Amino acid sequence: MKTEVLVIGAGTAGLTAAVRLAQAGVKVVVVATGAGSLGLAPGTLDLLGYAPQVVEDPLGTLPEFVSDLPEHPYARVGVQHVRPALEWFQTAVADLGYQGDLERNRLLPTALGALRPSALVPESMAAGEVGPGTRILIASLRGFRDFFPQLVAANLAAASRGLDVRSLEVEWSGDPSDLAPQRLWRQLEQPGVRRLLAASLRSGLDGAAAVGLPAILGRDQSGDVRRDLEDQIGRPIFEIPTLPPSLPGLRLFDLLKGALRRAGGRLVLGESATGFKAGGGEVVAVTASQPPRVEEYQAGTFVLATGGVGAGGIEVTPARQAREPIFDLPLAGVPRDPQDWFGSDYFAEQPFDRAGVRVDRSMRPLDPDGEVIYNNLYVVGAELAGAQPWREKSGEGISVVTAVRAADAILEAAR
Amino acid sequence: MTEQPETELLVIGGGSTGAGVAWDAARRGLRVTLVDRGDLATGTTGRFHGLLHSGGRYVVKDPDSARECASENRILRRIAADCIEDTGGFFVTTPIDDPAYADRFLAGCAVADMPVAEVPVSEALRQEPLLNPRISRAFAVEDAAIDAWKTVWACVRGAAAYGARILPYHEVLGIRVERDAVVGATLRNSLSGAEVEVRAQCIVNAAGAWTGQIAKMAGCHVGVVPGKGVMVAMNHRLVNTVVNRCTMPGDGDIIVPIRTVCVIGTTDVPVEDPDQIAPTQAEVAEMMEAGEALVPGFSRARALRTWAGARPLFPKGDASGKVQDTRDVTRSHSVIKHGQVDGVGHLISITGGKFTTFRLMAEDAVDAVCAELELDSACTTAEVPLPDSEGHHFYWLGARQESMEERVHDDAVICECELVTQGDLLSAAARRPEQQLDDLRRGLRLGMGPCQGGFCSYRAAGLLHHDNYYDRGQANQALGSFAQERWKGQQTVLWGQQLRQARLDTWIFQGILDLEHIPA
Repeated sequence: MKTEVLVIGAGTAGLTAAVRLAQAGVKVVVVATGAGSLGLAPGTLDLLGYAPQVVEDPLGTLPEFVSDLPEHPYARVGVQHVRPALEWFQTAVADLGYQGDLERNRLLPTALGALRPSALVPESMAAGEVGPGTRILIASLRGFRDFFPQLVAANLAAASRGLDVRSLEVEWSGDPSDLAPQRLWRQLEQPGVRRLLAASLRSGLDGAAAVGLPAILGRDQSGDVRRDLEDQIGRPIFEIPTLPPSLPGLRLFDLLKGALRRAGGRLVLGESATGFKAGGGEVVAVTASQPPRVEEYQAGTFVLATGGVGAGGIEVTPARQAREPIFDLPLAGVPRDPQDWFGSDYFAEQPFDRAGVRVDRSMRPLDPDGEVIYNNLYVVGAELAGAQPWREKSGEGISVVTAVRAADAILEAAR
Repeated sequence: MTEQPETELLVIGGGSTGAGVAWDAARRGLRVTLVDRGDLATGTTGRFHGLLHSGGRYVVKDPDSARECASENRILRRIAADCIEDTGGFFVTTPIDDPAYADRFLAGCAVADMPVAEVPVSEALRQEPLLNPRISRAFAVEDAAIDAWKTVWACVRGAAAYGARILPYHEVLGIRVERDAVVGATLRNSLSGAEVEVRAQCIVNAAGAWTGQIAKMAGCHVGVVPGKGVMVAMNHRLVNTVVNRCTMPGDGDIIVPIRTVCVIGTTDVPVEDPDQIAPTQAEVAEMMEAGEALVPGFSRARALRTWAGARPLFPKGDASGKVQDTRDVTRSHSVIKHGQVDGVGHLISITGGKFTTFRLMAEDAVDAVCAELELDSACTTAEVPLPDSEGHHFYWLGARQESMEERVHDDAVICECELVTQGDLLSAAARRPEQQLDDLRRGLRLGMGPCQGGFCSYRAAGLLHHDNYYDRGQANQALGSFAQERWKGQQTVLWGQQLRQARLDTWIFQGILDLEHIPA
C-alpha cells in the first residue's frame, strides 16, 4: 500500500497527528496493533497538573517547568506552540464540548475521591468543579463494582474543607453480568431505564446542587443521556472517569476516528508494524503483519506514535535491554546499570520512567550525538523521552501538542 | 498491661511448625495459646514454593531427611488432602546433569522406602510437552503441590476446636524466667499497641528462622542459620507436574505448579537477618537461566513476581551454627530441651526441618513438652484428618471455577485472574475483621494472578469501606500499601509483558485515580 503519510499507533497522539494532516489535504493511513490507548484515558485534557506540587496555572508554569527539564516533550516542542495546538484540538472534537482555561487548572474528583487538576474538561464533567458552600451528591448503582460512591464522598469531604458531600447508592436490579460497564452504557441509552434512575436520584437528592455519577452515561458523544437525566432531576450532572474501559476516552476515540474518516484518512486496526526499509537516508516503507500476511506500507513520511512502555512501543528483554522495536531508534534516559532502573518506593519517581526517544524541535528522532536519524520520520506522544505523564498529569497534553507540532512540521517540510 | 488467662502451653510462631504443635498439643488435652508477630503463615511457611516433597531431592545427599519426607508425604496425603494438589513429580536427567547420578538416585529411593518408577522419556514428554526434549531419563515420584496457608489454617482451626487460643499480631517482647524455668512471656498486640502478659507452664519456640532471636530472650543460644532462598512465580503453569533435575541439590532445579502459576526455586545463601532477604537482580537472572535446563525458553517466559524465604538451617550437633556451605546442612530437624542444655526448664525449641515434615516436627516437640510436664500421652495426628480434609479429596485446579459458576448470577467476580468474588471477600473479612488487605490477599489469592491486583485491589478497598470493615483512612492506606507490596515483589522482574502491565497499573492508580494525592 502506498500513501503520503503513514502513522503508526492509534492512541491520542497518532490520531491527532493523522486528523491534523488529513484536514490539511494530506493522504494519511493509520496502522495500529490494537485499539489504541484511549480506552485507558480519563477523557480530560491534562496539560500539567503537578510539578511536583499542584499547578494552578499550567500555561503560566510551563516556561519555568521546561527550563528545569530541557528534555521534556514540552521543551522540545516549544511553549509557544501549546495554546494553538490545544485550541485546534478543542475544535476538532467540538462535540465533546471541551471547556476550560489554560491558565487555570480545574480540580475534578477521581474515582477514589482525590482531586485531579485538569486544564480542559469535556462538558460531561464540567459540573464536577465544585467549591465550598455547595452540597453535592456522589451516586452509583448498587452492584456496579468499579465505583464506590461512599469512598469517593468520604475522600472528597476530607480533601476540600467546606465541601458538603453525600453519597447515594441507587437500588438496581439485575445480576452481576448485567452491571458490566458496556451493558450499563447501552441500557442507559433507553428512556425507560433513565426514568428509573432519575426517579431514584430525585428522591435521594437531599438538597444537593449537583450530582456526580461514574462515567456510564451512554456510549455516544452527544451528551443526550446526561442532559435528559439533568432535565428529569433538575440538577447538573457530572461524570467521573472510572477504571478502564473508560467511556470518556472511548467517546474521544470515536470522534477522532470519525474526523479522520471525514477528512479522507484511513484507519487499519489489527496490523502490527514490525520493521522498516530505508533508502538514501530516508524511511521508504514499514512492514506490518497480520499473520500469515505481511503488508508493506510505502509512504513519503512516517509518524511513530506507539505509546512507550505501557503500550508496547518500547520493549525490555529479560536481560534489561530496552529497545524501540520497529526502527530500532536509540533511547535516551535509560540508566546504564539495570540495578538503577527502579527504586523500592512505588510512589517515588523511578529512574527508568523518563526513558524514550529523543527528538529535535520538529519531533524528528535524534541519535546520541544529536543528529537527525531519518529526515522523514517523526515521533510523538508517550514514546518520547523526558516525561512522567502519570505523575505530572500531562499525558493528553503531551500527546496533542507533540502530534500537532509533528503534523505542522510535516506540512512545512512539504511546502 | 492486660493479662491473658494462664495457659499450659505457649507456642511461639504461627508457621507450619507452630500450627502443627498447637493442633497436636490441643488434641492431647493441653490448653494451648499460639502467638505470631504477624498474621499466621507469613514467615518461611508463606514464602516457599509449595512443594510437598517425595523425598527424591535428598535420597543421595541426606538419606535421613529423604526417609522422613517419604513417610510424612504419605501421612499428609491422608490427613490434609484438601490442601494438596496431586500433581505427581518427575526427576529428569537433563543434558547438563551427570548421567551416573540417576542410578545413585534409584538406589537411594529404595533405601528411603520412597516410591519411584522410571518412565520412558517419550511418556514424560507426552505428559509435559514443554519439558526439555533432550532429557535422557525420567522418574515418576510422589511430589505434590501443597497450599501452605490452607494447611496452617486447618491445623489452627482444628486446635481452636479443642479450645486453643490463636493470637496473630502478637509479638513476643520478652520471656519470663523464674527459678530455672520459663513461666510466661510479655507480648505486644501489634495492631493496638497494647502489651499483654501471658503465664504459661511450658513454652515451645517454633519461630523458624527467628528461633535464635526468641531463645535469646530466655538467655539461651540456638545457632539457627537463616538460609535465603529466592523464588520466581511465572504467569501460568508451564508444567502441571513438579519437575526436578536429577542431580545433587543445587540452585533453581525445581519447578512447582501451584494453583494458577508455577514457581521456580531456589537459592541457598546464609544471611544474618531473616527479615532482610530481598531478591537481587542477579539472583533472579540466575533463576530464569536455571529454568532453561528443564523448560527451554523459560528465561523468556513472563515472570510475575519474586520473593525470598529464610530457611531455618540448624546443623545437627553444632550449636555454634557456623557453616561454610548451607547446602551441606541436614534438612532433618532438632528438638532442643533447654532444661538439659541451658538449665532453663520448660522451654523447648524445635528447629531445622522442612514444611513436608512439619507434622513429625510437631509430634517430637509435643512429646518433649509432655515429658517436661510429666504427662502421659500419645500423638494421634498421623491418623486424624485436618478440618475440611475429612472427605479425602485432593484439591483440583478447577474447584474455584466450578464454585464460581454456581454463584455467577448472585455474586460478582472482583478478581478475574484468580476468580475471587465479592462474597468470598466479604465473608473472609467477616470471619477475621482485623485482617489487613495483604492478609486477605494471601488467603483469597486476591491479586496474585498476572494483573497483580491492578483492578481488584481497588474493588476490594471500596467494598471493605462500603461494608464498614475499613474507615476512609484504612481504605486509602490498604490501597497504598497493597500497591507498595506488589511493587516490592515485581521490582526485580520488570521486563517484557510484566513491565508493561506494571506501567498500566501505575497509569491507572496514579494517572486516573491520583492515589498518591488522596487526602490523609
